[in-house]
Amino acid sequence: MTAPNTIGQYVSPFDDRVRPPEPLAPRPREIAGRTVGLLDISKNRGAAFLDQIESHLNAAGARTIRWTKEIFSKPAALALIDEIAGRADLVVEALAD
Amino acid sequence: MRPTQNLRAPALSATGVDPASASLDDLTARGAALLVFVSEECPTSMMALRNLGPLCRGWEAAGLTAAAVFEDPLDVALRVARRLGWSGRVLSQAPPYPASRAYGLVTVPTTVLVGTGHAIEGTVVGWDQPRLAALIGRAGELLGGSAAGLGRPPATEPLLKPGCSSKAALDPEIAVAISRPAADDEMEEMFERGWTDGLPVVPPTVDRVAAMLGGAAGSESLGLVPPSMGEATLERVAACAVLAGCRPEYFPVVVAAARAVLDPAFNLHGQAVTTQPAGQLIVVNGPVRRAIGLNSGMGALGPGFRANLTIGRAVRLLATLSGGAVPGGLDRATLGQMGKIGFCVAEDEETSPWEPLHVERGFDRGLSVVTVIGCDAPQNVSDHRSRTPEDLAYVLAWAAASAWSTNWWPLAEPSVYVICPEHAAMFREAGWGKQRLREFMFDAVRRPASELRRGETTPAVHAAAPDTVISKWASPEAIVLLVAGGEAGRYSAVLGPCTGMGSRIVSREVESA
Repeated sequence: MTAPNTIGQYVSPFDDRVRPPEPLAPRPREIAGRTVGLLDISKNRGAAFLDQIESHLNAAGARTIRWTKEIFSKPAALALIDEIAGRADLVVEALAD
Repeated sequence: MRPTQNLRAPALSATGVDPASASLDDLTARGAALLVFVSEECPTSMMALRNLGPLCRGWEAAGLTAAAVFEDPLDVALRVARRLGWSGRVLSQAPPYPASRAYGLVTVPTTVLVGTGHAIEGTVVGWDQPRLAALIGRAGELLGGSAAGLGRPPATEPLLKPGCSSKAALDPEIAVAISRPAADDEMEEMFERGWTDGLPVVPPTVDRVAAMLGGAAGSESLGLVPPSMGEATLERVAACAVLAGCRPEYFPVVVAAARAVLDPAFNLHGQAVTTQPAGQLIVVNGPVRRAIGLNSGMGALGPGFRANLTIGRAVRLLATLSGGAVPGGLDRATLGQMGKIGFCVAEDEETSPWEPLHVERGFDRGLSVVTVIGCDAPQNVSDHRSRTPEDLAYVLAWAAASAWSTNWWPLAEPSVYVICPEHAAMFREAGWGKQRLREFMFDAVRRPASELRRGETTPAVHAAAPDTVISKWASPEAIVLLVAGGEAGRYSAVLGPCTGMGSRIVSREVESA
């Protein structure tokens, strides 16, 4: 629905509808036995960082699955988000070098 | 919790969004209401909103409707609520703050639980986590059943924090006087509202926006503006055009440019939030240039011409205000560049020896077309000495050798050349078409990979054998050629790209008003 846009005598350039952030999922106390998704956003050396994270996670008893975003400068495709949400309990996203 | 049982809650006089007014009957219709009186100027109020905000949805599902009742204008209230993650209702009251007065407020935040029959079931003043938890417990008792498990505010420090003076505690006349933004200075009010790019703006009054729309339906949506995905209703685009200083006759160009930047292929999302200095160059072709006074001549990339400056600025304001790409906020540009204030150039098709950009891109010459290109700031290329097209093309081409970065070869993204009329005339006289010039420039700028292996460079350079010759551009088509500028002076310019965006050049026809 289109928000009413008039504030007093002015028309607001803002979209003033309240869109509260999505609530955070509950944080697990243990990662052993969990499946951790590792998302490489396709930025330089992000994969090298994830390699290190992955070895620590595996050592702590977590399973890992790697995914890669098509391009770092666009939001991840909904299909990719759905797949990660369906297969992983937790996600680590590597930003950049 | 203050023992206030057996008191009836006064009527609530406040405004909101969807619906525009609020009443206790509405708020308690599902069982009970929690009124949280707050003010943007009060840190304790902000803390209360941040701590209670995420709980509101769960409360609502169990029958407890939470409403933040601000002592601030509605737009301020909505922005604060959004920023702090308040998921309940948002209400606003104007001076002299009748709702706060009716509830006898001395302090914000003050939280009031209203039950059936509008009975006040409890009041908590300031931030008092144990008492607020007890108040929510009381709400659970009132609602019964599954509501017993209503989410409580987190017991994070500090558990207690005194609030601030309610504006309702002021003498009513003083409250009205001090609430007037910047002592009735409308220009300052625009800054207070955040409706600016840092420069003064034209206040977007209802009348000015209506004139900008020229009868077009303000509710029509051009799509969502990244990164915050505010909706680009035509009315909101018109508000940005007014703020930027556009005349109504510019509006069709602004709308075409807005449609172009909102095309996902342009990836405004990436450009809006990047640490790069990415600007959005708007190139205008066709009869509309002359019709609205766009300058393609002397000073074509500089100041002095309202249409150029305000059209570019309107599109940037749309990204900044409607899209939320506020510098230092979601706009993370390390340095930025002046082209991010607004960047609109009209091509001098009449002086150009070549087909104009829009014709090259498949439009009829007689159409008016806007083309948007993500790019860096212009770099001047002076050449008053070349006497052959080869020499001039060589000088122009090598000016782009350090576009984006000194050793970043090849560039897949476009470098935009704005060729001045005197330089263009040399190519005209030599009979060089656009494609010949592009191919010459492409061939001219090459270096062996070994010379490019310092600092930032591309995977292609790393992978190549040392003596492999690398071009500055991935293809001749990465060189975009425009003609504009004053008739005297041999100064052209090259604008480097923003890279890594997967951004395409996008064109849109200007629809006549």
